Amino acid sequence: MIVIDILQKTIRVAKALFTKSPATKDIRFESMHHPARYRGEHRIDYETCIGCDSCNKICPTHAITMKHLPLKKQNIVPEVNLSICIFCGLCEDVCPTKPKKSIMLSGGRYDMLSGGWHEDQNDFWVHVDIPQSYIDARLEEEEAARVKKELAAKKKAAEAEAKKRAEAGEVPKEIQTGMPDFNKGVEE
Amino acid sequence: MEHLKELISRFSCAYVEDYKKIWIKAKLNSKDDLLDVAKALQTEGLRSLSTVSPTDFAEDGIMEINYFFEDLDTKRNLWLKVDLPRDEAVCEIESLTPLFASANWHEREAYSMFGVRFLHHPDLRDIIKSEDFRDKYPFRVDFDWDAHEKETVANVQQIVDAFKKEQSENEVDLESDSSETILNWGPTHPASGPIRLRVHCDGEEIISIDPDIGYVWRALEHLVTKKDFIGAIVAVERLCFMDNINSMVGYAMAVEEIAGVTITPFASWMRVLLGETARISSHFMGMGVFFNNMGLHTLAMWNMDTREFFLDFLESYSGARIATAAIEPGGVRYGLDMRMFDELQKALDKFDANIDEVEAIFVKNPTMRMRAAEVGRLSADEIHMFGLSGIVARASGVKTDIRIDEPYAAYDKLDLEYITQERGSARDRFVMIFEELKSSVAIIKKAKQHIEEAVANGEMNPTKDHMVKVPKKLPKGEAISRVEWARGEVLMHLVTQEKAKSPYRLKMRAPSFNHTMMLDYLLRGQTLSDIPLIFGSLYVCQGDLDR
Repeated sequence: MIVIDILQKTIRVAKALFTKSPATKDIRFESMHHPARYRGEHRIDYETCIGCDSCNKICPTHAITMKHLPLKKQNIVPEVNLSICIFCGLCEDVCPTKPKKSIMLSGGRYDMLSGGWHEDQNDFWVHVDIPQSYIDARLEEEEAARVKKELAAKKKAAEAEAKKRAEAGEVPKEIQTGMPDFNKGVEE
Repeated sequence: MEHLKELISRFSCAYVEDYKKIWIKAKLNSKDDLLDVAKALQTEGLRSLSTVSPTDFAEDGIMEINYFFEDLDTKRNLWLKVDLPRDEAVCEIESLTPLFASANWHEREAYSMFGVRFLHHPDLRDIIKSEDFRDKYPFRVDFDWDAHEKETVANVQQIVDAFKKEQSENEVDLESDSSETILNWGPTHPASGPIRLRVHCDGEEIISIDPDIGYVWRALEHLVTKKDFIGAIVAVERLCFMDNINSMVGYAMAVEEIAGVTITPFASWMRVLLGETARISSHFMGMGVFFNNMGLHTLAMWNMDTREFFLDFLESYSGARIATAAIEPGGVRYGLDMRMFDELQKALDKFDANIDEVEAIFVKNPTMRMRAAEVGRLSADEIHMFGLSGIVARASGVKTDIRIDEPYAAYDKLDLEYITQERGSARDRFVMIFEELKSSVAIIKKAKQHIEEAVANGEMNPTKDHMVKVPKKLPKGEAISRVEWARGEVLMHLVTQEKAKSPYRLKMRAPSFNHTMMLDYLLRGQTLSDIPLIFGSLYVCQGDLDR
């Protein structure tokens, strides 16, 4: 009797080896449900960000701080503190850049607060790492634009003055002193 | 309605006017008339006082008190205003608690938050706010939160000592020859959630109960005033996570009324659809909690399983399972991808497949039906007296449902009927949740079908129709809106100033506040073992209890 009993039980257990498991997905690595709008960790695109500060203004929990860049225009870029953020997604809603938003949560990582030990408070931040080369390139661009604008302004001012003088029949200042007037047009 | 208007006009009023379909708005010239008006209203049939909401107009030196009287039977409601001087020393008015039992806690709340003293109130103590706010009134507009925080940090030891002293003296004041003791039920009791009931008991028998609430007080009504009109939705939805859609609907309706915006038909149908989905997710929890409190955890597990499918739909639509932030003033926040309805269909199929089994095993459970049949009974008169609403009111046979009484969103296009139970016991409230769950699913099916048909006909554009632009700055005004929340009536009273970027005052009347008030009334003379059962059947959520 005992032998038959053991045999029966062995067969019963062995059956499990040949049945297909009802679980098909390993949810440790893949979420069960991951819709496209899922509001997860932010992705911030510093290249398209125009630095308008809208996301910072609308954030209901003040989770966003604006990082300053050594540039003249678009000189701020958002960074998000994930330990304060409530993932409401309003920052993405107000972001004016098109066609792609500069700050995006939807479709973000779903596993952001799992895995790893998070020993550093910085692990809970979405920092924007901007390479120095990008900043340099932007600075150069800005400088070039500034010079170009300045020259154009100078030229315009000089033309206007020349015209004025010509109408009044005066001699231009440069000719009087022999030095160009460097202050002219700088205010613009 | 005309009769009510005439009745109010007999008193000296600044104005008496119609407001919406079933409201009359009136302002009394003198606070001395209040008691007489209240008595007249009570004989007229307006037996429930929904809430008391002060608004602090600091510049004018006025504290305006708003009373919302309701008649649950004939659906006539009155919004009554009285001005008080704002100065703390003279900011006082006659209490309505002797006439309207439901005013009790609402007046205590107004006293705690705004420092309005209610004369002849039987028990005017602080409620909700914590010890460190004693003699401070945090919702007054000139309250300095930063200074308060500094002071609290400096005096934290004193506050802790005071609390410990209260604990150690719990039984000192009691008579030495009686066996009366004070038992703390919660906040760590498995069935309690963040609430503490000070239970005065003699052995098993309960003498009285004094609920200590405020463990999850986040001052939401104050928080919204610090945010803009759109950002405020994240504070409003945190009224309670179980049914967050409907609270946002209420807030959005109030903003739209002030802005003078009408939402699109698509948005209104979506509000019905999403609102009912949230209601289902809440009711699943409520049913599970009821059985959990009786010691049987299976139903909660089963419910969580089905609920997850509904949450999947919410997640697909809005991007979050619980804190969806999916309703904004002007419509619904996102457009709809029609493929999302496949997921909703999956949830509905799952529901249909399981619900019979749930009914057979749990709703018709003989043990539950015997145990809960006689406890916590509320008569229809008590419902009126204490201003109860939602499933608690309907379980006692009171026909009240704001979706029918004062239809909002697209509920007027649905043929809804009152679902009621007769006896008003704990069991009836449980059965009520179950019946409403089924009706919610029926509503979802109708709304889904309607949207699908309209989209197929080209009447609605699901990707573009979802929003109407609401101006960022609103004009001066005020509005109230009511929604049928999962747990009962939520009344939002929104006040804005000229060119307002954020709400000046938002009062959220939450049903759990009234329902928790009932614990003392219901449990006196019962035994300790009834506490979890009755507490669970009242379907209380601490989120909207404390706000």
